[in-house]
Amino acid sequence: MADDALRARIVRAVTEQPQPTVTVLSSLLAIEDELGWIPQEAIEEVASRQSVTQNDVWAVASFYPNFRFSPPGTHMVEVCWGPTCHLMGAQRLLERVHDALGLDGEGDTADGAVTLRYNTCLGACGQAPVVSADHHLLGRASAEAVDALVAGLRAAGRNGGHQR
Amino acid sequence: MTEPIKLTIDGVEVEAKPGQTVLQAAIDNNVYIPYLCYWPGMKPYGACRMCCVEVEGGRGTPASCTLPVANGMVVNTLGTEIRGLRESVLELLLSEHPHGCLTCHRIELCGPQDICLRHVRVMDRCVVCPKNERCELKDTVRYVNVNMESPLAYNYRNLQVETGDPFYDRDYNLCIVCARCVRVCEEMRGDDAIAMIERSGTVLVGTSQGISLLESGCEFCGACIDVCPVGALVERDHKWDKAVTTVKTTCTHCSVGCQVNLEVDRRGRVIRSIGDWESPVNTGQLCYMGKFGNEFVNSRNRLKTPMLRQHGELVEATWEQALEAIASRLPDYKDGAFSLFLTPRATNQQAYLAGKFARQVMGSNNVDLSVDHRLELVEPLGRRLGAAAATGTVAELESAGCVLVVNANVTEEHNVAAIPIKKAHKAGGKLIVIDTREVELSRYADLWLRPYPGSESALVGGMLRVILDEGLQDDTFITECSGGIDALRESLAGYGIDAVADATGVGADKIASAARAFAQAGSAGIVYALDNVAQDERAPVTDALVNLALATGNVGKPSSGLFPLRPGAASQGALDMGCSAGDDGLSAAQSLEAIAQGGVKAAMVLGDSALFTSEAVHALTHTDFFVVQAMFPSELTEAADVLLPMTSFAEEDGVVTSLDRWALRRRAAIDPVGESRPADSVLTQLARRLGAADFGGHPSEVLQGIREAVPAYAAATDDALDAGGVQIAWSMPERAELTPLPPMQARNGDAPFLFAPGRVLSLPVGEVEVVRSNGKNAIRREDALELHPDDASAMGVAPGDVIEVAANGHRIRGLARTTGPLRGVVSATVLFGELAIALDQSADDDPMLRVPGLHVMPVQVAKA
Repeated sequence: MADDALRARIVRAVTEQPQPTVTVLSSLLAIEDELGWIPQEAIEEVASRQSVTQNDVWAVASFYPNFRFSPPGTHMVEVCWGPTCHLMGAQRLLERVHDALGLDGEGDTADGAVTLRYNTCLGACGQAPVVSADHHLLGRASAEAVDALVAGLRAAGRNGGHQR
Repeated sequence: MTEPIKLTIDGVEVEAKPGQTVLQAAIDNNVYIPYLCYWPGMKPYGACRMCCVEVEGGRGTPASCTLPVANGMVVNTLGTEIRGLRESVLELLLSEHPHGCLTCHRIELCGPQDICLRHVRVMDRCVVCPKNERCELKDTVRYVNVNMESPLAYNYRNLQVETGDPFYDRDYNLCIVCARCVRVCEEMRGDDAIAMIERSGTVLVGTSQGISLLESGCEFCGACIDVCPVGALVERDHKWDKAVTTVKTTCTHCSVGCQVNLEVDRRGRVIRSIGDWESPVNTGQLCYMGKFGNEFVNSRNRLKTPMLRQHGELVEATWEQALEAIASRLPDYKDGAFSLFLTPRATNQQAYLAGKFARQVMGSNNVDLSVDHRLELVEPLGRRLGAAAATGTVAELESAGCVLVVNANVTEEHNVAAIPIKKAHKAGGKLIVIDTREVELSRYADLWLRPYPGSESALVGGMLRVILDEGLQDDTFITECSGGIDALRESLAGYGIDAVADATGVGADKIASAARAFAQAGSAGIVYALDNVAQDERAPVTDALVNLALATGNVGKPSSGLFPLRPGAASQGALDMGCSAGDDGLSAAQSLEAIAQGGVKAAMVLGDSALFTSEAVHALTHTDFFVVQAMFPSELTEAADVLLPMTSFAEEDGVVTSLDRWALRRRAAIDPVGESRPADSVLTQLARRLGAADFGGHPSEVLQGIREAVPAYAAATDDALDAGGVQIAWSMPERAELTPLPPMQARNGDAPFLFAPGRVLSLPVGEVEVVRSNGKNAIRREDALELHPDDASAMGVAPGDVIEVAANGHRIRGLARTTGPLRGVVSATVLFGELAIALDQSADDDPMLRVPGLHVMPVQVAKA
């Protein structure tokens, strides 16, 4: 059953945390790393393992914008809008990506193939402006390169992708 | 003794206790510092920033609720900077809170009859806030004198008011995010049914993913409502009503003895019940019954006049005629032919007079509370420890190193007694629950022992055996205060751990762990109700528990002892007052049998109770003469020869005794409804008509009689009772012997299947679904029945098959789960929310009188 497989992944993520102190937050981070999002089953699992209520877990999870509560798209596009990239024209790239994906801001495409996120620094300012697709960096990105990148991801559809 | 700390607040030198905060010191010394998030007894939080002060030589303007006092500190609460700061803080709070109630120019002009003209927006009107004029925010704005001349704009959150759950309305448009509700739920109740959700600009009170309170673990105690400073959280009943008086009295729904402030409106209705924060018994806490179960007082269906049966019909009569009719008939049924049933909500005065009336006036010992009040739970305590009552204070259990809860559904039936137990557990104390059923506390328990029903004494015997075998007993205590350890040890010969494990179905290692945790805790309390233990087994189990407490030295020291949880608010008081059948009389249940068989020919029922089922009423119709005093018409009152209207607890004066023997005042909050009278008045009038000239009288006169007749109550003086109550002293007798246990009974292998119902505050989300219908939340659940894998395979049942449990015409169907720990037991756990919905929507006049308990019963189990 798919549910059981999901739960097994959650349990593994929670129980195999390397650090000595396991908390609600560390468990949520481990699950986010494993699944890319926090399903209801994860809230239940963390609550029972940390002897707190689901409300307490939700209080922590909903505090951080880093956690997602719905599955991410198959592919992840991140556009850097840090100061350097901004100066080098990140805004134009962003608009281009919005148009290509049919989005107004961060979010998932309707077909679930691509998730767009803004990033404040991808750590490659020397290559600005930078865009990343499934954690692969594209430096000195031009509008055309971004178009091609997005078109490639859309063509791959729900195949491949960044999911672990 | 630590020295008090001296500091100066606004030029006045005050003393504070070490560890206090500046705000607490100010409150203790009658200096007002405005605050909105602090609440006495809860940890400082520092959310609202209203209580900021200046400290000479210090930096900035710290919040006084988080600032510890220090010697020589000079605090200024009134400086210009402080005032400006407070004004800004309030303006920020008001930037998200509708405040037409403060800015409308008609505030001084509107009278109670005026219809709101359109001076402010709809959501701003003072009349759309249920807390209008009892709002702490409004009071604070007025105190701080914020300039409201130019109306401040505010951001209306535009959230739907939550009205789907039982009992509460929640309007988070009015929330000021002080987190009092979240903190009281966590710190005082240990429930965490609500939490602060999201962050900064959007933070609000909520539940996990917005689920209903029905599934978030809420016990509907209403503590969050009582601490809410604004109109966000309110009781749905009488939401818009305003109180004119408040009377402190004692709750009548169980024997914990919670002190409750009843708010009364100008029409004489009890509109709200609020726990008393100064009470040593409940520290402001109530439960779903005490908070939301007092509406019966206001019911339109209350009986208002006496009725007499004439030509087969009940017709209205005067009190004079009714009392005369009773007085003329009763003398024919003196001695054993008369039985008296007293309401389980009686005062001590009523209980005292009932006992006296039956014995002295009617010459009958058949007098009892009309509830199975489980005398067997205290009889061994009276016999062995000097007083038939709890040996300690329930509230003290919060410091216990271990609490053993034996077959008691504390959260539902003695709710507030569960609070110190949960607190002890939170503070690191061990919680051991012995119960076949899944009850709320079994979820918190470090060790949950699920014995086969009826094997509780074997289980306790097994724990004793482990303690003695491992030398964990308290030898000093036994030498000094107790004895009989050799005889006890000898009697435990048959209680070898494997035999006990076999008889109880509880693993040997679990029994041993429980024994060690209890014996090594330092201080350990035993809370027991023995809900599912057969009547003749209750005393032996209690005896075994007394042995457990004595052997480990857990009697007569703080945070330890034995706490019998008996049904009926009057159970302890009635026992102390001699309102019980004793050896020569018939208990309530025995009286009903005797009536059915014709031995008892006349009966007087003072107050309805759950005892009066259809069968019991049918038995009562066999009497020659049958008097009922009740609040509401029912099957019972229909059958009466004489029917008298009864006052509710809110109309009575008297004293009640809690299970840990606090003698507490019951005070009349409203006038008697119609011509209703309290039971003590009826007994007094009747006795005087029957020739007992100086019988009874006013509750204060009767109390005087009680003080003389019952030595333990000599301390229950009017002054002591007015000061908040007096605990009847219990002291450890010089010696309390250990007694041998009876031989262990082996498990009867041919017993029928037993059904163990359970009820908890939250279940995994996958098992329940909350659906909305007609604006109300309802619970849809897939019933699951749990049984032992061996039983399942014997019946050919696989997990997921539909099975059916049947008893007495009732049937439950559910999906089989083969994870049960006990052979011969099938169990099912439901959500407390279902009970809350049923009580909220009940058509009964007095639904809390018959809250369905969790009864283990024999059933047939079959594959459907």
